[in-house]
Amino acid sequence: MMQNLPWLFLVLPLAAAAVDWLLLARSPRAAAGVSIASALVTLALCIAYLCGMQTGAPAAYAWFPAQGFDLNLGLLMDALSMKMMLVVTGIGALVHIFSLGYMKGDPSNLSRYFAGLSIFMFSMSCIVLADSLVLTFIGWEMVGFSSYLLIGHWYHKDAAADAAKKAFITNRVGDFGFLIGILLTLGIFGSLHYADMAGHMKVAAGSPVLTAAMLCLFCGAVGKSAQFPLHVWLPDAMEGPTPVSALIHAATMVAAGVYMLVRLQVSMGLDAFTDTACCVIAGIGAITALLSALMAAQQDDIKRVLAYSTLSQLGYMIMAVGLLAGEAAMFHLYTHAWFKALLFLAAGAIIVRCHHEQYIWNMGGLRKKMPLTVLCFLSGTCALVAVPGFSGFFSKESILEAAWERSLPLFILGIIVAAFTTFYMVRLCLVAFCGKARTHEAEQAHEPGFTMLAPLFVLAILSIISGYGFVADQLVPYAEFHAESAEWSATLFAGLGALIVGGGLAWLIYGRPASLAAKSDPLGANRFSRVLRQRLYIDAFYDRVLVGGVQYWFSCLVSCVDDGIIRRLIGQGLGLLTAWAGHLLGRIQDGSLRGYTMMTALGVLILMLILIILF
Amino acid sequence: MTPLSHYLIFSALLFSIGLSGAIMRRNVLVVLMCLELMLTGANVALVAFSRAQGLEGVPVYDAQVLALFVMAIAAAEVAVGLALIVAMFRARRGVESTSLTSLKD
Amino acid sequence: MLIWLILIPVIASALIGFLHTPGRATALVSSLLTSLLGIGSIVALSLGADGECLTHIGDLPIALTLYLPLSKPMLLLTVLVTLAAVLGLKAPDAAAERSWSISTLLISAGATGAFLADNVVAFFAFHELALIPTFVMIGMYGRGERRTIAWRMTLYLGLASMVLLAGLLLLYMQMGTTRFLEMRVMAAMGRMPVSTCLTAGLLLVGFGTLVSLFPFHSWAAPAYASAPTPIAMMHAGVLKKFGLYGLILVTCIFGPSCDEFFGCWTNLLLLLLLGNVLWVGCVTIAQSRLDTMLGNSSVMHMGYIFLGIAAFVTSGATNALAYQGAGMLMLAHGLSIALLFLLSGQIERRTGTLEFCALGGLAHKQPLLGFFFGLAGLASIGLPLLANFVGEFSIFVSCFTGWEPGATSPSFCCGWLNSLAKMLGGLGPVQLTLVFALWGLVISAIYMLRAIRRIFAGAPTAVCERATLPLSFAEICSAALLSAVLLLLGIAPGILA
Repeated sequence: MMQNLPWLFLVLPLAAAAVDWLLLARSPRAAAGVSIASALVTLALCIAYLCGMQTGAPAAYAWFPAQGFDLNLGLLMDALSMKMMLVVTGIGALVHIFSLGYMKGDPSNLSRYFAGLSIFMFSMSCIVLADSLVLTFIGWEMVGFSSYLLIGHWYHKDAAADAAKKAFITNRVGDFGFLIGILLTLGIFGSLHYADMAGHMKVAAGSPVLTAAMLCLFCGAVGKSAQFPLHVWLPDAMEGPTPVSALIHAATMVAAGVYMLVRLQVSMGLDAFTDTACCVIAGIGAITALLSALMAAQQDDIKRVLAYSTLSQLGYMIMAVGLLAGEAAMFHLYTHAWFKALLFLAAGAIIVRCHHEQYIWNMGGLRKKMPLTVLCFLSGTCALVAVPGFSGFFSKESILEAAWERSLPLFILGIIVAAFTTFYMVRLCLVAFCGKARTHEAEQAHEPGFTMLAPLFVLAILSIISGYGFVADQLVPYAEFHAESAEWSATLFAGLGALIVGGGLAWLIYGRPASLAAKSDPLGANRFSRVLRQRLYIDAFYDRVLVGGVQYWFSCLVSCVDDGIIRRLIGQGLGLLTAWAGHLLGRIQDGSLRGYTMMTALGVLILMLILIILF
Repeated sequence: MTPLSHYLIFSALLFSIGLSGAIMRRNVLVVLMCLELMLTGANVALVAFSRAQGLEGVPVYDAQVLALFVMAIAAAEVAVGLALIVAMFRARRGVESTSLTSLKD
Repeated sequence: MLIWLILIPVIASALIGFLHTPGRATALVSSLLTSLLGIGSIVALSLGADGECLTHIGDLPIALTLYLPLSKPMLLLTVLVTLAAVLGLKAPDAAAERSWSISTLLISAGATGAFLADNVVAFFAFHELALIPTFVMIGMYGRGERRTIAWRMTLYLGLASMVLLAGLLLLYMQMGTTRFLEMRVMAAMGRMPVSTCLTAGLLLVGFGTLVSLFPFHSWAAPAYASAPTPIAMMHAGVLKKFGLYGLILVTCIFGPSCDEFFGCWTNLLLLLLLGNVLWVGCVTIAQSRLDTMLGNSSVMHMGYIFLGIAAFVTSGATNALAYQGAGMLMLAHGLSIALLFLLSGQIERRTGTLEFCALGGLAHKQPLLGFFFGLAGLASIGLPLLANFVGEFSIFVSCFTGWEPGATSPSFCCGWLNSLAKMLGGLGPVQLTLVFALWGLVISAIYMLRAIRRIFAGAPTAVCERATLPLSFAEICSAALLSAVLLLLGIAPGILA
């Protein structure tokens, strides 16, 4: 009985979601209580396991037994998964509590909101604890669903409903590749269980089918972790409530792609990742990091800046995976989870106190109105831009070091991205927090309540200390992790240089008094800025050309051909054939009695002749 | 004794005369009479077979019973048929089978 | 015992028809009884009850059995969908209610008979019995150009039945017995039809057309869109599975030699099912009305079941995952499409329209309807925890269970197909078909999410603003019944095995 305790990680949130949805649909406070309780219990359970509680291996669930090939679902409880669970349940619990304050007074159905959060906790736990690609895929689809549900929480807003749909469909495109990858993996390794993969590869290392399989699996990560060219859904997903953005679209779900790839590296072995596959993975990661850092530099919506920043940091992680530095990728995933959740929650507190204002050029002067929140936000910012001493500094250093060792072009790209990161974060802080309040709403802003501040403090502390060895060695989701102390090396100098250049540039442009009073970006008229504001026209290309053009016209054409040719040819054709045969045979039946008799007689005669001839 | 084939040829002739009459004549009254002729042909065959199949001069009575049945039914048929023809004559002032096309038209 | 599964609905429809008992109430009693009886006999058989008493019904030509592969899930599907259809039935007037109830019951009786028949004659005859009310109901109570649609459906299905009958007769003549179980014994002893190619072709075209296999699918979507709600539920949900059931039955009869029996037809089937998934999928995207969209989506999903059957056939009937996956998807698809048609009927009753452009924001006035529709829609596009996912995923996996990279060198007719298959490690026809068919995941997400978006999300339009009539208790029960089974089978599909 005790050995099946880990199943509570899945059962509790699922049960909470079911109770919220089916029984507590009309009592939002009770629903919130149930969800928070389930999140806290799973967190406590996770901490207990990390502190050394042993209950033995949980039994697998015979999900769909078929003679010969059973689909079993089981849990894998190793350092990688349990420490990742801590990130998920930890941030999950904080976000649940924060939501209480954030959603207070919201007219929408809060039971649905908390049920969505619980379903998300369930699905994310599926991905993290999965012992086979089957359960991973189940979780993969379910996080997509919960993300759909929560982005579209305010479904009466067209933008939110469209964003939810876009997120789901874009993810499905990635899943198309992911499923092919899963099936190829089944062929190559003969099993979908992570434990049975190592050493069972049936093809030679470096064979094209292995590359194909890895790239297909990577497709899944491209969709879920919003890498170029499927990154378009993540910025739109900011239409959802801000705690959701913090939990799903910054800290945990979007990192699932990275987690999945690292899990594969650990279980398949590094030689399963062929050179070509690694090149593509690292390249896509670097391109995403660069493009989204560029786009983030000219966004005017506080959540969109953070969203593009998330994309860019995910690009870093994917790049590290491609460089076969899974350790660095997971380190950055872990620090990023804390500080990005912090940034989003702090942004949420700001948004809610500015009466749902997200446009940064309508804010200003917030450092005096809500100093604690701004302080938290700043500590997250310092971690993100890798100020020495903050957690992000250590993890980014380890990624840059991996790049320095393996590929110079990627290292240079990484440094450029780091400079842009500092640029857009300093820009954001200057515009939103310094100067004077630009609008009446910003003027009235004040510090949020305890349920919102408490999670911020916890996260702020974590985003400062989580990079140091004494914490990181214990908590980074990787077996045998050792944080290295910073040394005076080329990467360190390059990183510091990027920090100074990016920050200085932003200070020069946005720190001027004229900029601090401006109601819109002083660079806004610039042609390059316009291109960045239009998201490099990638979204427009998808909307107009792929969806409005190819998909629309192609489906219309197919539909016309289907109706005009296939239905006519087969449906009408059969009809005409039947009618024609009817007319032809109808002539025989002319109503003349003598004709009938004659035919009967003739028929009898012919039959008799046949009988006589045959016998 | 007359061989069976003579009876059968006679019966086939009767049947054929009846059949050709039924097909070729337009007058329904004549068609009815031709039908009787065909039945008679069949009866002749039945009786002939009953004699031929019999042992030691005792015929097989099954076939003769069948012939009696046919005669009875033929009588009934004539009664019904004549009634129909009379009704038809009243309605149409003629008993031509070619004029019976109202269902087709 | 099993004969009562057929007699009860027939007696009930006779009562409604001749004695004019209240239509819906009588039908409800009858379908409740059959549900209890059906589920009871499935449970009894699973628990190891005496099989003889279940199968033995004297020397009648309608001997019934639950021993055939997939008889149990199909019986479950039939009784559940019938119950839901009768519960949610709402006719414009009393006469219509009577005839709708009678038709629903007769279809259910026919489908039950076809799924439980142990010989070719009853198998075919019961299916024809179930088809007749469908034609009549569309012709009398359909929407739009009901006469044309009913005639087109009659033509397609009538001809399909004719072709199928020819195939079944050939099968019977060459195997020398009408009983399926005996045929299996004969086939195991090595008896094979002489004109294999002809028999298999006739069976495939006949069964295929009944399941709307591309390119014989044009009857389906308009017929479902036009039919009254319970009839659409019964036909799309239950009766359509007859063809798939038949194909799996034939495959099981031939066992290890089924690949030889179907021969070259398997490759044609693979090609045609891609037509179902991709071509009809695109057609579905282009629809502007909910009912035709649902009809086309049902045609599209048949492609996946055909894929499962193809994987089963090529493995020589040894791939248990393909077989169970196909069975699961048949059951799940039947439940989900029935639920979707039920809900589309409820939407139309409240808003008076099913045009996407007129609908919008309905979830404000009808949150419960939105919940059920979301559940059914997401089930039909294969969301985990719901039954369809289990079926689809097992079919996908089953296509690859016997495959090893580099085991075979591909030989397709076109060069680029060869190089694609080679690059992916030497894929066979089934695996390559699957790779293309997986794009259907994206297609189905596009149309279903767009439907949910257009109907339920956004600001309420004028028609949706007026749609305030709440769901009645019976309507909630009927939707909840199907949803609950979908969820149960999605979480614990093992109970079916």
